[in-house]
Amino acid sequence: MLLCYLQRVALMTLLALGGLWRPVRAQTAAKFPADPIKFGQVEAQDLTAAPFVADSAAAAVVLCDYGRSQMKGHGSGLQVIFERITRIKILKKAGFDEASVEIPLYHREENSEKVSNLRGLTYNLVNGKVEKTRLETSGVFLEKRTPTVNVQKFTLPNVREGSVVEFAYTLTSDYLFNFQDWTFQRAIPVRWSEYRVSIPGFYRYNINYQTSRPFDVQEVHVGQTTLTVDNKVGDGGGLGAGMTNGILSISAPTEEHRWVLQNLPGLRPEPYMTTLADYAARLDFELAGEQWPNEPYRDLAGTWPKINARLLADEDFGGRMSHTGFLKDQVLALAAQHPDPAARAAAVRALVLNSVRYDGTNRYFAPEPLRKAYDAHRGSAADVNLLLVGALRDAGLVAHPLLLSTRDHGAVSKEFPLLEYFNYVAAVVTLPDGHDLLLDATNPHLPSGVLPDYCLNRVGRLVGPTPATSRWLDLTPTQRRVHYQQVSLTLDAQGGLSGKVHTEHGGYAAAEERSHVAELGEKKYLAAVVQHHEALTLSKLSLAHSNDPDKPLALDYEVHQPEEGAPGSALHLSPLREFGNTLNPFRHETRSFAVDFGMAQEETLVVNLALPAGYELAALPTAVVMELPGNGGRYVCSAATPTPGTVTLTSRLSLNQAVYPAAQYPQLREFYRRLLEKQAEQLVVQKKAGS
Amino acid sequence: MKALLPILFALPLGTPLAAAPAPKYAVAAIPASLREGAHAVIRADDEVVTVKSASRLVHTVHRVVTVLDNAGDDLGRFGVSYDALRTLSYLRGAVYDAEGRLLHQLRAAEIKDEGVGNDGVNFMTDVRVRYADLRQPQGPYTVEFDYEIVSDNTLFYPDFQPQAEEGVAVQAASLRVSTPAALPLRYQERQLPAGLAVGHTTAGSQEVYEWKLADLAAIDDEEAAPPLTDRTPAVVLAPGSFEVQGHAGTAGTWQGLGQWTYDLNAGRDQLPPATVAKVQALTKDLPDARARARRVYELLQGSTRYISVQLGLGGWQTFPASTVASSGYGDCKALSNYTRALLAAAGVPAYQALVGAGSDHADLRADFPSSQFNHVVLCAPLVTAGRPDTLWLECTSQTEAFGYMGSFTGNRHALLLTPEGGKLVATPRYGTAENRRVRRLDLFLDAAGSATATARTLRTGQEQDLYAQLLHELGPPDQKKYIVEHLRLPTFTLTRCNLAATPAGPLPGVVETLALTLPGFAPPSGKRVFINPNLLSRLPALPAQVGERQADLWLPQASLHADTVRLHLPAGFQPENLPAPVQLSTAYGTYATQYATLPDGTIQYIRRLELKRGRLPKTAYQGYLEFRRKINSADKAQVVLVKTES
Repeated sequence: MLLCYLQRVALMTLLALGGLWRPVRAQTAAKFPADPIKFGQVEAQDLTAAPFVADSAAAAVVLCDYGRSQMKGHGSGLQVIFERITRIKILKKAGFDEASVEIPLYHREENSEKVSNLRGLTYNLVNGKVEKTRLETSGVFLEKRTPTVNVQKFTLPNVREGSVVEFAYTLTSDYLFNFQDWTFQRAIPVRWSEYRVSIPGFYRYNINYQTSRPFDVQEVHVGQTTLTVDNKVGDGGGLGAGMTNGILSISAPTEEHRWVLQNLPGLRPEPYMTTLADYAARLDFELAGEQWPNEPYRDLAGTWPKINARLLADEDFGGRMSHTGFLKDQVLALAAQHPDPAARAAAVRALVLNSVRYDGTNRYFAPEPLRKAYDAHRGSAADVNLLLVGALRDAGLVAHPLLLSTRDHGAVSKEFPLLEYFNYVAAVVTLPDGHDLLLDATNPHLPSGVLPDYCLNRVGRLVGPTPATSRWLDLTPTQRRVHYQQVSLTLDAQGGLSGKVHTEHGGYAAAEERSHVAELGEKKYLAAVVQHHEALTLSKLSLAHSNDPDKPLALDYEVHQPEEGAPGSALHLSPLREFGNTLNPFRHETRSFAVDFGMAQEETLVVNLALPAGYELAALPTAVVMELPGNGGRYVCSAATPTPGTVTLTSRLSLNQAVYPAAQYPQLREFYRRLLEKQAEQLVVQKKAGS
Repeated sequence: MKALLPILFALPLGTPLAAAPAPKYAVAAIPASLREGAHAVIRADDEVVTVKSASRLVHTVHRVVTVLDNAGDDLGRFGVSYDALRTLSYLRGAVYDAEGRLLHQLRAAEIKDEGVGNDGVNFMTDVRVRYADLRQPQGPYTVEFDYEIVSDNTLFYPDFQPQAEEGVAVQAASLRVSTPAALPLRYQERQLPAGLAVGHTTAGSQEVYEWKLADLAAIDDEEAAPPLTDRTPAVVLAPGSFEVQGHAGTAGTWQGLGQWTYDLNAGRDQLPPATVAKVQALTKDLPDARARARRVYELLQGSTRYISVQLGLGGWQTFPASTVASSGYGDCKALSNYTRALLAAAGVPAYQALVGAGSDHADLRADFPSSQFNHVVLCAPLVTAGRPDTLWLECTSQTEAFGYMGSFTGNRHALLLTPEGGKLVATPRYGTAENRRVRRLDLFLDAAGSATATARTLRTGQEQDLYAQLLHELGPPDQKKYIVEHLRLPTFTLTRCNLAATPAGPLPGVVETLALTLPGFAPPSGKRVFINPNLLSRLPALPAQVGERQADLWLPQASLHADTVRLHLPAGFQPENLPAPVQLSTAYGTYATQYATLPDGTIQYIRRLELKRGRLPKTAYQGYLEFRRKINSADKAQVVLVKTES
C-alpha cells in the first residue's frame, strides 16, 4: 500500500544521513504558555452544578481537550507520539456515555499503534469535598475487532450527574504518514480544544484546516529536538548488515505549532446533508516532503500531478487496470457488436455489473489482483470500477479512473492535495466528441452514464496518463430525480370516485424505487402503494420496467372510492392532495448547513377530473406560479376546463439546484408550504344552476 | 445477562464439497409449489446435535439455500457467532449457479472475523462473529454453508426452526440429536405439521432422536400477527442436567433452573461496611418497607450506571456487589445483585428475577423449563395492610420510575431466584387502566386561514415509555427534533415544546406541552373553511388483506386514548356542518366521537379510543380491519365552517 511505501522511504533516508546531520542553530525559541490542563488538577468551580455557557441544554460538555504530537526515536526509526488529556463535565444522565471511551488502533504488517500510560479519574463533589476515583484496570479492555483494528476501551468509575471525568493517554504510532489529525468539534459542546504539534525540520507536512471559524489562537515558532535511534550497520556492512551497533543522536530544529478553539457548540446532523464531519472544525496532516542536509528537497505529496503519477505507478491502482485479460474475449465481442462508443461503454459496464458484485466496501485501491474479485464474483468499489476501466480500455475506448469521495466520506479539497480525502473510484470515458461519460458498475438499478447517488459529492478527479490530461470533473448530474403522475378520475353525483393512475419514476427516483422493489419484492412494494392511499381502494396494480434501468419505472393502477353517503348540496374533494405530498420535507424551522440533495428534482402531477352530469365547479382554482431566486426552483399549479364537465389540474415542482445554501432554507420551506397549501385546496362541485 | 447472539444473518452447512463438480441443487429441482411467494428456498438444513457430556455438546449444520430473487438476497450471506464458551470448529461455503454448477468455493481469506463490541449494547463482550458473503451479481443462485460449534455452555441447547423468515420455503430439513442415555433429552415440538412424529432409536448407550421436515411453503408476515417464530415448525431442545465451567445443575424444572442460577451467584452480595452503614443511616427513620426500598432505589439510581461487560462465565455470573460499590457500574446481573444487597441492608428482602425482556419479546413458554431469559430485575414481596403488594425494580436504569416495569418487562412471566430454587411468577400487568393518553388541544383559527394551537398530552403507563426515554435520554433540542419529525402536520413551527415527568405516583407519566403555529392551515375555499379537528390523533388504517388470512389476530398492547379538541373560530365564521357522531363497540375495542358547538361559539370535538389486548382466531381479522377502517375514516371527518355575510 502507498502508505507503507512512503514511510519506508522516509526512514531509510533518515538512517542513511542521520550521523551526518548537523543542525543549524535555531533562533531563540519563543515559549508557548503552560499546558492548559494538568492531569489530576480539576478546577473547583467545574464541580459545582452551575450551568455552562456553551450550551445549557447539553448532556455533557468538554471542558478541555488537549493533544500534543511529536516525533521520537524508536529502534532504528521514528514514531509519532501523541499525548492527550480530556476533561468532560457530565451534566445529565444522558451524558454518561461520554465516560466510556473507545480508541481504534490500526496495525498492519510491522506497523502499529499502541496506547500506553492510560490514566483516568472521576471527580465528584461529596458533601462539599472533591472525591477522586481512579480508573482501575478492571475498567480497561482491548478488543480485537478486526484483523487490522484493535479497540482500546475504558469506562470511568463512579460517574454521576455533575461528575467531572478525565482521562489521559499516549498513543504511539509507526505511521508517520498519517500524523494524528485533530477534531476540535463534536456532538457535545467544547469549552477549550487545543492541539500542539512539533515537527522536526527534516519533515514537512501539509496541514489543512477545515471550517469557516477562525482560530482563537494560532501560533508557530522554531524549536529544537533531539531524536535517539539505533545505529544500524548499512547494507554494505557485510556479515553485520542490519545489526545494531550503538545509538545515534540527531538534533534538529522543529516547527512548533499551537492551535486553540474555544466555546464550540455541539454538532447535530440535519436531513439532506453529506456528512457531519464536513462541518466539524478539524486539522488534517499529510506528510508532504523531506529535507535532508546537502540533499535536494524530496517532495512526497504536494501536488496533484505527483499524486497522479504515484497512483498510476502503484500496483494497487494503476497496476490493476492493466490486468483484466480474463474478461478480454467477452469485451472484444462486445466491442465488435457495438460500434457506437456510448453503447459499447454501456455494454461493457453491463458485463462488469453482471460479473462482479459490489460488496459495499468503498475504496480506491485494490490490494489483490482483480482476477480474485472476478472469481469470487464480488468485490469493493475499486475492484469493480478498476476492472471497468480496464475492460473499457480493452474495448478500445478512452477510459480513465475517476477518484472521488462518497457523500458519507466527506468533502474533497481541490486546494489540498491529499489522497485520504478520497475513498472511491469510478470511471470516465471520453467520447470522440470530447464529452465525458461517467461510468460506475456498483449499482444495477441505474442506467449507464449515471453515477450512484452516494457518489454525488460535487467534484471528482480524473486520473489521466499525464498531469496535463488529469483534471477535475463536476459531479453534479444532469439526470434529475423525476416523479410523474397522470390521474384520470370520474366523480359521480353521490361523491364516489373512480379512475386510473399512471405514474413514472425517472432518473434517480427510478433507481431509488427499483432498489425498493428489489429489496421488498414486488408484492410488498405494491402493498405499500396500496397503504399509501388510505381513502381509496386500489386494484389492477401493474409495475413495468422494474429491471430495465434505461426506462422509467412505470406503475399503473385503478382507484375507486365509494360514495360518501348522503351528499350535501355540494361535493368537496382535493385530488391533488390525495396524490401529492402530505408533509413538508423541511420539517425544522431553522437550518445550520447547506441543503444538499445531490441532484435536481422534478415532481409533476396531472389530474383530469370528469364531473357528474349536471354539476360544475363552484370556481376554477386560481393559478399559482412561484419561483425561487436565481432560477433555483419553480412551482406551477394551474387549472383548466378543456371540455365542459371536465377539469384538468396540473401541479409541477422543479428544484433546479443540487445544493441550496443554508441561508435559502426559509425560502425553500415556505415554497413547499405554499405548494402543500395549494395542493390541499378543496374543489367545490355543485349542481349547475337550473339543472 | 448475556443473550446468546442468534446467528447474524442465517445459517447453512454441507457435506464435504465434492471435488468433481457434478451439478447439484439445480433450481429446476425445486417444486413449483415451493417457489410460490418465495424469495428463497432452503434446499437442505441438516442439523446434528451430539451431546458429549453434561458439559459439552457439538452442533453440526449443513445448510443449502437457493436465492430466487433480490428480496431473498440476505440468505446469500451467512454469519455464525461464537465466544469463550462456544468454539467454532469450521465454517465452509460454496456457491452454485442456477443449473447447480459450482461457481466458487469460499476461501478462508474471504471469511470475515470480527468482534461485536460495537453492537451498541455491550461495552465489552467475548462474542465474535465469523461471516461470509456469497451473494452473486445475478440470480438465482444457491449457497451452501457448513459449520460446527463445540459448546461448553450446555445451559443452552440449539433450537431447530428452519423457517425463521417470511418469503422462505423449506424443501427439506432434519434434526438429529444423539445423547447418552444418562443425559435424557428434553424437547418440545411446536407447530409441527400434522402426522410428523419423532423417530427415536437406541444405539447402545446412545439415545437418538430424529425429525424430518419437508415441503414447507413460504409464509408471509401479516399485520397484527404473532411473531413468525410462533407460526412455523420448531423443535426446541433443553438439557435435563448440565454443567457450565464446573457448575452443575438441572433444568427439568423451573425450581432446578432457578436453583442453579441462584447458587452460581450465591455469596456475591457482600457490601463494604461503609455502604451498609450508609444505607442504614438513610433508611433508619422509615418504618415502612416500601419507603425504605424507595430510598434505596434513589440511592442506586443516583450512584450507578449500566455498563455491560460479558466475558466467559461472566455472561451468567454476576460481579460481586462490592465491585459495583466501588466502580458504580454493572450490567443487569450486577446491578440487581447490588440492589438486592442494598435492600437487605435496609431490612427489605428481595429476589432477583430472570426475564425475557423487550417490548417485542414473547412471554416465556411456562410448560418447557429452559433458559429463555435475557435480563434480570428485582422483586421484593412486600405486604401492605396484610395484602401482597409486590414491588418490582428495574436496576439498570437511572431514570425508570420506582416500581415500574413497562413494555420492557411487564405483562409476562419471570423466574424468581430464591434460596429454594426458581419460582415462576407474573410481572405487573398494564392494561387500559394504566396505558393512557389524554390530550387537550385548542386551535385558534384566524380569518385568513392560519392558526395557532396548544396541545397538552398526558401519557401514563406503557403509553409513556417512549416519551420517558425522550425525556431522560435526550436534551431539549433533540426532544424537539424528535417531536417535529413525528408530528403528521403539513407545515408547522413549534413555538413551545416541553416534556416533564408527572409527580411520583403509582404509575409514571409524562406531560408533553406543545404550542404550534400553522401558517395557511385551513385557507378559505370560497366562503367555506374545511377543518379536520383531529390534528394529532389520527390512527392509520391497515392495508387490505390480500389472499386468505393465515395468522391469528394478535394485539399485544392495550391502551386508552382520550382527546378533547376545541376549535376557536374567528369572528364572522360559523359551523355549517358538524360531522355526525360515531360509536363503535367491538371485540377489539371501542371508539366514539362527538361534536358540539359550545355556547361561546367554540366547536368541541371529543374522541375516545380504547384498544384491547388479546389473541383472537384468524377469522377475527376481517372485523378488526373494518374497525380500523371506520376509525380512520371518522378520524378524517371535516368540520365545515362558513363565512357569515355580516
